[in-house]
Amino acid sequence: MNVLYVLIPLALLLLGGAVWVFFWAVGSGQFDDLDTPAVRIVMDDDEKPPDRPEP
Amino acid sequence: MNDSACFHCALPVARDDEFQVEIDGDLKPVCCPGCKAVAELIRDTGMSSYYALREAPQPGVGRPADDATEWQLFDREDMISAFADLGDDSAEATIYVGGMYCAACSWLIESTLGNRAGIISADVNPVTHRVRVHWRPGNIGFGEILATLAALGYEPQPLVPESTTRPEVTEQRAALKRLLVASLGMMQVMMFAVGLYAGDYQGMDDDMQYFLRLVSFVVTTPVVFYSARPFFAGAWRGIVSRRPGMDLPVSIAVTAAYLGSTYATITHGPATWFDSVVMFVFFLTLGRFLEMRARHRSIDRSIALSTLLPNTVTRIEGGIQNILPASQLAVGDLLIVRPGDSIPADGVLVDGETTVDEALLTGEAEPRRRSSGDALIAGSINLDGMIQMRVEKTGSDTTLGTISRMSERARYARPAFVRLADRLASYIVVAILVIAVGVATYWYFYAPEHAFVITLSVLVVTCPCALALATPAAFAAAGTRLAELHLLVTNGNAIEVLSIATRILFDKTGTLTRGKPVIVATQVFGDVYDEAQCLRIAAALETVSSHPIADAFDVPNNPITATDRRIVIGEGVAGTIDDRRWRLGKPAFAATEDSTQAISAATSVYLDVDGKVVARFDIDDEIRADAASTVQQLLSMGLSIGLVSGDNKEAVQSVARALNIEDHHSNCSPDDKLNIIHSAQDAGQTVVMVGDGINDAPVLAGADASVAPVHGALLAQTNADIVMLGHSLATLTHGIRLARQTMRVVRQNLGWAIVYNATALPLAAMGHVPPWAAAIGMSASSLIVVLNALRLSRFGEA
Repeated sequence: MNVLYVLIPLALLLLGGAVWVFFWAVGSGQFDDLDTPAVRIVMDDDEKPPDRPEP
Repeated sequence: MNDSACFHCALPVARDDEFQVEIDGDLKPVCCPGCKAVAELIRDTGMSSYYALREAPQPGVGRPADDATEWQLFDREDMISAFADLGDDSAEATIYVGGMYCAACSWLIESTLGNRAGIISADVNPVTHRVRVHWRPGNIGFGEILATLAALGYEPQPLVPESTTRPEVTEQRAALKRLLVASLGMMQVMMFAVGLYAGDYQGMDDDMQYFLRLVSFVVTTPVVFYSARPFFAGAWRGIVSRRPGMDLPVSIAVTAAYLGSTYATITHGPATWFDSVVMFVFFLTLGRFLEMRARHRSIDRSIALSTLLPNTVTRIEGGIQNILPASQLAVGDLLIVRPGDSIPADGVLVDGETTVDEALLTGEAEPRRRSSGDALIAGSINLDGMIQMRVEKTGSDTTLGTISRMSERARYARPAFVRLADRLASYIVVAILVIAVGVATYWYFYAPEHAFVITLSVLVVTCPCALALATPAAFAAAGTRLAELHLLVTNGNAIEVLSIATRILFDKTGTLTRGKPVIVATQVFGDVYDEAQCLRIAAALETVSSHPIADAFDVPNNPITATDRRIVIGEGVAGTIDDRRWRLGKPAFAATEDSTQAISAATSVYLDVDGKVVARFDIDDEIRADAASTVQQLLSMGLSIGLVSGDNKEAVQSVARALNIEDHHSNCSPDDKLNIIHSAQDAGQTVVMVGDGINDAPVLAGADASVAPVHGALLAQTNADIVMLGHSLATLTHGIRLARQTMRVVRQNLGWAIVYNATALPLAAMGHVPPWAAAIGMSASSLIVVLNALRLSRFGEA
């Protein structure tokens, strides 16, 4: 069980890292819009404009 | 007329084959050349899936602006520097985009702008209706970006860069961080707690137990001091204002459990309650977060106000005309205002003669004549004359600004029962604290070693968590569902008021009626011309006028053109067709030998040729198609209906008769309307006001709840508690049904929370509930409350 004395602090360090990354992401505005990303996945961006004769 | 709706904007289409667009191989009807152009633009840029993905077509939304040349002004150096942050070879600006309603819009805008050469990025926030564009000025002009948005049918408005981040964004970011810290902290501490409980049964080294408690303490500390800080702040505010809220017992329980656990950790005491603390804080933070999100969905007020004003003004300096951003206006400036433009500031007409439409500000439907020396109000529309004006007041000093401030003040005076609910909450909180102190005292004398644990259990068990979540969770779910039904709630109290409303007051123009003139009857004199010919001739004459009445004479592809057209201000229009002189206008202007009687309430316009009257058009405001059925449904739901309007008696009576409304008031000033509302409220009724127009803003705020249709003046929307996004009045009945269902759910939730607390409290006070069980019980009761509330988000689905 002694390995826990190493693993738990290590887990806490990773947790701290995760929180730091999240704080950075929030601060840089990546979470300002919580609505669009949820539906963006269903939108096709690969549709090509149809060929149009030059006017 | 037929039943088909425009494929693009959902307005009724006159003839199916008149304008058509080919999308995915099918011919779709559209209502006008503008919609055709927009639909083709969307198709040709490969964005057709917009139509498949948008939530629902918004009738009338997304129609293109008439004039695209205005945007070229924004390519000038001084305009760009006024609106954009300039970098070395790139520029960045924020644009408010009117007419954007769902995620499909934001995708359309992002993709269309993103595909343009020279645009580095375009980020759309559909909630705040803003686009942040980053572009290279060498490759694309600012004006071109705005013109692209306008061509898609939106109403772009560049915003002056703000020095600081907006408060809602800061608030949401802070709340997200708090929520994340609380949730990660909860997961970690619960994991350690499982280990500790297992240790209680299977045996555990003292060292390991001490270690697990210590790491629990380390993880709990930021949750208490960071995530739970708003609760401490709220509790302190409650103490200072002598009105303790739910935050006080929460704070006491959190502080006591945290300090007690810390003490137990240091002294190797029998138990710690870090798990209860984090779980408690997490659920409360989650509730607050959901509540905040619902609140932020309201529309930005300052923007709505300024969209009534023009982006640019033309200033005369030493005889030279200069175009500059409206934000640079100063008192004393001499401006030129063209016909059709809105007046940018309060001031005096210096030169020229015109009529102005002040309907949004004064409620006066008839355009007013203005000549040299007369006062002009910001936000009113200059209809037919080129004028010069001197600026006297700008920005918030103007009448428009004052009206908006007035209604702002009225918003803060909340109905009495809301204050009552607040006071009741204080009593509950005080009762919880008294019970906790009583329990603590009893156990201190009876069995002091259990006193702390039992008091803690009591505080956690009676934690008003389910009580606190019961209402906001139901309101958040209802708010989301209402938005799907195209009703946007901007004030949390509105749902409650809507559910207990007994009386609905409607404004007439733009609410029960379309707010747009149509020809209701045509009378032709003589047999030289038939009705269709008269209409085409009238339409040809009216093309020169921007008077609202001219909208009624709209003949697409009119074969007739008039020459030598002339506007006689306040009277009518004249023009020459086939060498004959035609006039169209008021009886005194065109010849009148009319023996027939115009239908009441309508405005009559006469058409004459060479002094001989040919036809009379009766023009009136058309009643909305679903107005009658909506009124009928509201009556059947047990509500009383009233009609209040600033219009004349005949106009109001004819609408009231058509809709079967017995109680109607005409010639009402905003003060009269407010008095009608107050007298109904004094009689014990709960009044909901449905109306638009800036003059209604104080009236809307005076009612218990207010609803505004979106096509009304933008300011009125933001003062309204509920905004109707669709053009259908029927959404109002759905909204009231949903509000009633919401209050049923709130009552169920509160009932459950009270039953749970009433059972758990005696058990906890007797010492039968350990803190962990109290925390689990509390969480389970909260979960039930939230799940019950989520039923509302499916309300009305088949």
